[in-house]
Amino acid sequence: MEITEILNDHTIVTNMNFKDKHDALCGLSQLLLENEYITNVESFLADVYAREKVGQTGIGNYIAIPHGKSDFVNEIGVAIGINNSEISWETMDGKGVRGIILFAVGNDNEGAKNHLKLLSLFARKLGNDEVIDKLLKSVKTEDVKDAFAN
Amino acid sequence: MKIVGVAACTVGIAHTYIAQEKLESAGKKAGHEISIETQGTIGIENELSSEQIEEADIIILATDVKVSGKERFEGKRTIQVSTEVAMKSPNKLIKKAEEVVTQQS
Repeated sequence: MEITEILNDHTIVTNMNFKDKHDALCGLSQLLLENEYITNVESFLADVYAREKVGQTGIGNYIAIPHGKSDFVNEIGVAIGINNSEISWETMDGKGVRGIILFAVGNDNEGAKNHLKLLSLFARKLGNDEVIDKLLKSVKTEDVKDAFAN
Repeated sequence: MKIVGVAACTVGIAHTYIAQEKLESAGKKAGHEISIETQGTIGIENELSSEQIEEADIIILATDVKVSGKERFEGKRTIQVSTEVAMKSPNKLIKKAEEVVTQQS
């Protein structure tokens, strides 16, 4: 089981010009919709924003990990956007954000243990500064996947 | 020093595991033995054994929700913080743990 199995080339974007948080969340949710991870952008986003209210998802080092458990998730997945400029976000270190990792997880995860396990291993990687450095330097999809490999 | 602990956040998808990684790497970097149990959406992982808890000099609970099996840590020196503190200042937290242990031993 490789962590990168949780990633999908079609839900990773680099060199983006999202202008703010909402723009980024909409853009990444749209990718999740197009690739059938979620069934409805607006409803999914409502759950993501509900989580945003509970506490900061900007984990420092220019990274944000918005996520929500939502009934509008078909399949556990992740969308990743690397932005060219910093956008403002509620973060633990007060800095802006350039790497946005949007997690989609359903409310009913029976039969999805494997994916959940992968997702937890993936999340763990985000606690590693070297991974984050590589991620932020990514200019193409392949670089993003490399950052999370091994 | 031997450190064990638990990480658990509200949704149990992301913060839990990032806190685990940050704490374990900060602890190891400072030369300690450290093991952090995660309580997330997937359930309990890296479950602490009673032996590990017995031998631990200190317990770190980095949690935003009720810890399951908290009674396991009764009578042990415990530091309680949010997952956010563990993610934001893991090195400081390990230092704090060292201080608590040296002061009380």
